[in-house]
Amino acid sequence: MFRRVVMPAMAVAAMLAVMLIVLPAGAIGSDRTIQARQSHDRYAFGHDTIIDSPVAGSMQAYGGSVEVRDVIDGDLLVFGGNVTFSGRGRVNGNVVYAGGRIVDGEGRIGGEAYPLASIGGAAASMTKTAVVLSLLFVWLVAAIIVTLASGREVRLSSIEIRASALHCFVLGLVALTSFVLTAIMFSYLVPYLIGIPLLAALAVFAILTKIYGMVAVFHAVGTLVAGARTREQLASRKWLRGDVAMVVIGVLLLGAIRLIPAVGAIVWSAASVFGIGVALATKFGRREPWFLTWRPAEA
Amino acid sequence: MNREFCQRYLEDPEANAAHLAECEKCRALADSLQSSVLVQRSSDVRELPLAAWEGAGHRSWPLVAAGLIVVALIAAFLFMETDSSPWRALANLPSADVLISTLRHMGSAAQNAPASWQLVVGILFVIVNAIFIALLRRAPRGIDV
Repeated sequence: MFRRVVMPAMAVAAMLAVMLIVLPAGAIGSDRTIQARQSHDRYAFGHDTIIDSPVAGSMQAYGGSVEVRDVIDGDLLVFGGNVTFSGRGRVNGNVVYAGGRIVDGEGRIGGEAYPLASIGGAAASMTKTAVVLSLLFVWLVAAIIVTLASGREVRLSSIEIRASALHCFVLGLVALTSFVLTAIMFSYLVPYLIGIPLLAALAVFAILTKIYGMVAVFHAVGTLVAGARTREQLASRKWLRGDVAMVVIGVLLLGAIRLIPAVGAIVWSAASVFGIGVALATKFGRREPWFLTWRPAEA
Repeated sequence: MNREFCQRYLEDPEANAAHLAECEKCRALADSLQSSVLVQRSSDVRELPLAAWEGAGHRSWPLVAAGLIVVALIAAFLFMETDSSPWRALANLPSADVLISTLRHMGSAAQNAPASWQLVVGILFVIVNAIFIALLRRAPRGIDV
């Protein structure tokens, strides 16, 4: 898995990044252009904002709500707050928001309103259960493919979860935080184009880590619940044996728990943290060290 | 007992087997080692715990097919009941252009953030990644399969 998918993906992203640095033709704009584009933009960090005069550029708010009383010519991004429209308030671009909602926004958004949430979260208007089940079907297919491609690695990671669960959980939490902070650091480079490939490489790595890790968690859950305890039990079983069966049982069990309101989301998130942790702890089931230790040659 | 002979015996027991006849200490050591080997040989393989790799290669296709069909049927039924489709949920997601545009906006926001925010992010970045690397250095503990 690591050698076949992750390494080539990272190598391609790294090569692309190097090309963009080396070849100046790939650069977008100059500092002057960026300054000009940013000069009309407005930012708010950690407090609520009222827009009561026209904004020629975009408006971004982090950790606070925005009340739009006048026209915003560009996009409106709000993270961790609500968007409320009143008076002649209008956004000519798109509204991207997370951790909040839009109030009285009908007919006041020139572009589209995008909630930055998961597919399940975005499907508020639809039956959420149906969407979750569709995603579960996709997870089932992905888990079977990954297990068939690298069953031994998945099994090794599954054992690691059961052998040192706390370490996997802590590593998963730290890795998740590291991904977010690294993404913020990379976002400093976004105006210079190099940032987008770096962010894309980070996203690819994070997604692959989560997918592989979740499959290992499915295997661990399936083995804990339905795994054979003795050889006689194993020999007597027709269906409930083997890596693929354990993974399928794990997906169905965790998927069923996922359907429970509130509890399901917490359990699934915890499984994701475990998954990311175990994928990194075992180096995608290869059980090799991430860093080689230098030691002087002995005579 | 000659310490030199004992040392030679310990280095190569087979070549110096005759030493056992004259040294009681080495004979006792050899007996204890032999008895432990015999005890190990006498263990029944069937009584050992089930290894993780045993039966792992078995592929239960009926279970796989049943799982896929059940999940797909329930999802399709629910979509039919609500007169919707999975594609509509996908359509609600932002397009690649919107995502790239959002990333550009966030990049400029990172540069325009207050100095205290940037400092906190920088310090956290160093601390969290130091812990991350320290945790990655620990060897996996899972048993061999």
